Amino acid sequence: MRSKLIAALLVTCGLLVAAQTLVAHHAGTMFDENKTTELTGTIKEFQFTNPHAWIQVMADTKPGEAPKEWSVEWGSPNQLSRQGIRPSTFKAGTRVTMRIHPMRDGSAAGNFVAAKFEDGKVVGRWE
Amino acid sequence: MLLTAAAASAQNQAALPDWTGVWQMQGGTVFDRATQTGQGGALSKGVREHPPYNAEFEAMYQRNLKLRDSEKLPDPINTCGTPAGFPRLLNVPDTYEFVVRPEQTWILTENGPNVMRIYTDGRAHPAPDDRWPTYTGDSVGHWEGDTLVIDTVSTRMSHYPESGDTVLDRSGLILSDAAHIVTRLRRLDEQTMEAKMVIEDPKALTAPWNVTKTYRRLPKGTRVYDYACAENNRNPVAPTGETLILGPDGKPLGAAK
Repeated sequence: MRSKLIAALLVTCGLLVAAQTLVAHHAGTMFDENKTTELTGTIKEFQFTNPHAWIQVMADTKPGEAPKEWSVEWGSPNQLSRQGIRPSTFKAGTRVTMRIHPMRDGSAAGNFVAAKFEDGKVVGRWE
Repeated sequence: MLLTAAAASAQNQAALPDWTGVWQMQGGTVFDRATQTGQGGALSKGVREHPPYNAEFEAMYQRNLKLRDSEKLPDPINTCGTPAGFPRLLNVPDTYEFVVRPEQTWILTENGPNVMRIYTDGRAHPAPDDRWPTYTGDSVGHWEGDTLVIDTVSTRMSHYPESGDTVLDRSGLILSDAAHIVTRLRRLDEQTMEAKMVIEDPKALTAPWNVTKTYRRLPKGTRVYDYACAENNRNPVAPTGETLILGPDGKPLGAAK
């Protein structure tokens, strides 16, 4: 019951989060807002820090090859916490598929759009 | 019977309006949305505002807009070192608190964080020779009913970006250090605070510039947090003015950096 409630809360909060521009500390122009790409991999670390939270994801590459680390930028922990996000939202070792607005220069980083866990739980706007 | 100082202060406090709670600015961080042209936020190409600038300051603003369009207009607060300054302090994201005391009102912004002190104990601004430009300037205020009328001078805005001074928003709006800003701050209703500014600046403007910002009350019990910008700043500003993104190894991402 509790996990269902949390899942519902995350979905609701995710919609709220996605509706706002969360790159508040600096210009977001390095990200291509018109492009959304998908990464699947394992959470390495969730940096719940100011001025921005960062999700480090070890993304799957080709079978047999080492995963590649991506840096996914999000809002400030202050904003995110008021919208229901917690340091435990992205636990290290969890499998996840993330949608991001990638950096325009092709670097392994992007701006957070949404995430879907293996149990179907969604954070952000997954459409 | 003489009242003690504390009792007199408490009595005065009771006569002051209730601005308790946690508030958040409405709308984006385009400073003067009423005169905005172009679509998007202060960073979007083609977006600009239209203060009644004189030719010199219009040219400076146009130069800043060009730098903004080429992503080379550094935001001074991205250094995690300098305050937002006034009046940008009324134009930041995250939470606001308005702490009303008989002798001072404090505006506290979570983002930054920034503190603005408004003296309401009857003092005047220091004499011109006794003051110098500071980020937040010097503010004195008085009450007209439930409206706090704030008079601000001695702010620090001039030849940005060379000067390292403050901007009003990320489009590169600036004023001079001769700016004189009168802000009427009041609670419109239970859920809304309003800051109505009349900006005069004999070095930058040809007429008074009117800008209004509003703030909505966040749910009761909302907490305000640290905003330690230097905690994990993975977006430092390069000497070229560009904002960088640091990878997990602390080195800038991207081939050009």
